[in-house]
Amino acid sequence: MKKKLFYLSIITLFLVACSGNNNDTFTSTDSDETNSGNNGDNSSNNNTQDWLIPVSEVKDGGPGKDGIPSIDSPNFIDANDSRADFLNDDDLVIGVVKGNIVRAYPHLILDWHEIVNDNLNEDFISINYCPLTGTSFGWRSVANGEKSTFGVSGLLYSTNLILYDRNTDSYWSQLELKCVNGNLIGDEPILESVIETNWGTWKTLYPNTKVLSLETGFSRNYSNYPYGDYKTNHDFFIFSASPSNAALPSKERVHAIIGDNISKVYQFKNFTTGKVIKEFFNGIEYLVVGNENLIYSFKLNESHSNLVFEYDFNNSEVFFKDNEGNKWSVFGKAIQGPRVGQQLIVSKSVVSYWFAVAAFYPNPEIYTE
Amino acid sequence: MNLKIVVFLVIVFSSNLMNSQTCCSGGIPLSNNIGLAILDKGTTQIGISYDYNNLNTLNNKTEKLDDNSRLRITHSVLANMSYSISDRFSIEGLFTWVNQRRKITQFGNENLEETSGIGDGLLLFKYGFPNLIGESTSLNVGIGTKIPFGSSTKKNIQGITLNADLQPGSNAWDIIYWLSISKSFNFRPSLNILSRFVHKRTGTNNSYFGDSTYKFGNEVQFFLGFSDQFLLLNTITTPSISFKYRSVTQDKVGGFNLENTGGNWVFIIPNLSININQNLVFSTKAELPIYSNVDGTQLTPTYRLTTGILFTIVPKREVLILN
Repeated sequence: MKKKLFYLSIITLFLVACSGNNNDTFTSTDSDETNSGNNGDNSSNNNTQDWLIPVSEVKDGGPGKDGIPSIDSPNFIDANDSRADFLNDDDLVIGVVKGNIVRAYPHLILDWHEIVNDNLNEDFISINYCPLTGTSFGWRSVANGEKSTFGVSGLLYSTNLILYDRNTDSYWSQLELKCVNGNLIGDEPILESVIETNWGTWKTLYPNTKVLSLETGFSRNYSNYPYGDYKTNHDFFIFSASPSNAALPSKERVHAIIGDNISKVYQFKNFTTGKVIKEFFNGIEYLVVGNENLIYSFKLNESHSNLVFEYDFNNSEVFFKDNEGNKWSVFGKAIQGPRVGQQLIVSKSVVSYWFAVAAFYPNPEIYTE
Repeated sequence: MNLKIVVFLVIVFSSNLMNSQTCCSGGIPLSNNIGLAILDKGTTQIGISYDYNNLNTLNNKTEKLDDNSRLRITHSVLANMSYSISDRFSIEGLFTWVNQRRKITQFGNENLEETSGIGDGLLLFKYGFPNLIGESTSLNVGIGTKIPFGSSTKKNIQGITLNADLQPGSNAWDIIYWLSISKSFNFRPSLNILSRFVHKRTGTNNSYFGDSTYKFGNEVQFFLGFSDQFLLLNTITTPSISFKYRSVTQDKVGGFNLENTGGNWVFIIPNLSININQNLVFSTKAELPIYSNVDGTQLTPTYRLTTGILFTIVPKREVLILN
C-alpha cells in the first residue's frame, strides 16, 4: 500500500508540474540573459529585431501587451449630464472638434486606458495619451494605408508610450511620432488636431461638447489615479528618460513645438493673462496663443503672416482675433470676419512634461519674455 | 528522540511547507518554504516540491473587478535541505527553479511573456527551545538571508528587458526572521497546533533596468495551523488546516513608493500529508484567498497548489552494549 502511495505521489507531482504548460504554446530559448517566450496571435509576429530607437532604452512597463486595454467602443455623454459630474473643472481633458462633433476625453479615464479608438462621423481617430510623459496626440486610425485601431504595447521608450497598430502589429513611439519596429518601420502617424486643457475651459469653449463616459466596458475605479504623486513629484520616475535636463522642473507641463529633431517650449506661467506670440523657430514663423489653462500654436504662411493677432478669449468659442476683424477659434479656424472659414496651419506640437520633451528633443529652446 | 516523534514533527512541519512569499504576489515562494523541523543531531532532510501560483483576479482594494483578462502564473520547483548540527541547531538551504508567465487575453488575442531559470535561494539558521514555554511545546527561532542566485535581467525574444515582476531573481539580498511555536496535547498527542511568523526585510536591486533601483516590499507572514493524525488504510495520514495572514508594503522604485503594489491577505490552506514510510512524507495542499485588500488596483492570488515530498535521513546510532 505504502509503495503504491509513494509511486502515486511521484506521478501526481509530475502531472501537476506538467499541468502548467496546458495551452501555452511558445518557444523558449534559454541563455544567460535572453530567455523568454513572447507569444500570442499578435506577437508571433511581424516584428523584427530592427528598431529605429535603441532597444536597450525600450522597457517592459509591467502590464504587458493590451494589459492596459484601449477603449474601442467609447460612449459619450453630454457635458451637463449628471453622469459627467465625476469631472471637476480643473481636471485635464483632451478635446477634439470635427465638423459639428465636439468631444472630450478625460485624463481620469485615459490614465487607465491610454488609447481611445474613436469614430467621429466616419473620421476614425486614435486618441493616445501617455500618463508617464503627460503627452497626448490624435492620430488618424490608419496603418499601412488601411483603417486600423491602435493598442497599448506594454512597452515604453524613454518612459513614453509605445503603441502598436492592429493591422500589422508594428510598434509606434508616441513622442518620437514614428513607427520604430515592424513592417511599417519609419512610417509617421497622421496627426489630428487635439487640445489639452482643463474641463472648465473646454466646456466654456464648447458648451455643446460631449465627454467620454465612465461606462467604458471595463471594470476600473476611475477615481483612483494609478501613479501616486508622479504628476507633481519632480524626482519620481518609474522608468528613466534620457538625456535629462534640469533647466525646468521635470514635471512642469509645457507646450512644445516640435521641429525635425529640436523643439521649443512655452511655459504656462508666461500666458497667465492671455497672450499671443509671433516668432520664428527653426526657420518657420509660428503663432502661439494661450492662457494659464491652454496653449496652442500654428505655422503662419504668407497669407497669415502679416496679420496682427490679439488674445480675445471671452468665455466663448472665440480665442483670439486679428487686425482685420477676424475672430479665430482655438483650433485656428476663422469663425467671424472677412476670412471666415479659413484655417491656420496647426503646428506639430504637444503639451508634455518638460523632462520628456528634453529627452526626445534634446536641449529644447525655452521661450523667454 | 523517538522515531515516531521525528516522523510526527516532520509531518507537522512539512504540512506547513510551501506557502508563498513573494516579492509581489506572483513571484517565487521562498520564505514560506522554509522551516523544516530541527531534528536530532546528524539528521538530514531533503524536500522537493512543485508550486503552481495562479493570479487571475483583479482587485481594486477589496473589490473584485469584473476583468479576468490578465493571468500571472508562476511555476516553481523548490528543493530544500536541512541538516541538524546539534539537537537544537540546524541549517537549512532552499534552491529554486522558476517559470514566470504573464498572459493577456484581450481583443481576441493572447499575448504571453515568460521567463525561466534558476531563482533566488535562501539560507536559514535555526535554533530550537523544546519545552521552553511549556510542556509539549517547541519554540524555534531562525535568521537567514535570501541569496540572489536568479537573474534579474532576463529579456524577451525581442531583446527587451522584462519587468522586475517577471524576473526569476531579484538581485537583492533580503534578511529573513523566522519563528515557530508548536504545541501538542496530552489528551490527544497527535493533535498539534502550530504558529509561525516570518518577516522579510528586503534589499534593493541597485541596477534595475541598468540605471535605477527597485526594492520589493517588506513582508510579514503569520500562520496558525491545526493538524491531527489518523490511520487510513494502514497509513499515517495527517490532514491539517492553516490560516495565513500576509502583509506586504509597497515596492519602491528609485526610492519612491510604487502604487498598485503591496497589500494584505488572508488565506486558508487545507493540507494533506501521507507517510509513505517512516522516512518519506508526501504532502499536497491548496492555498485559497479568503480576504484580499490590495493597494490600488492589482492582480491578486486566485489559488495556489503545492505538492511535494520530504525525505528524512536519520544517522545510524551507535549501540552501546553493557555487560
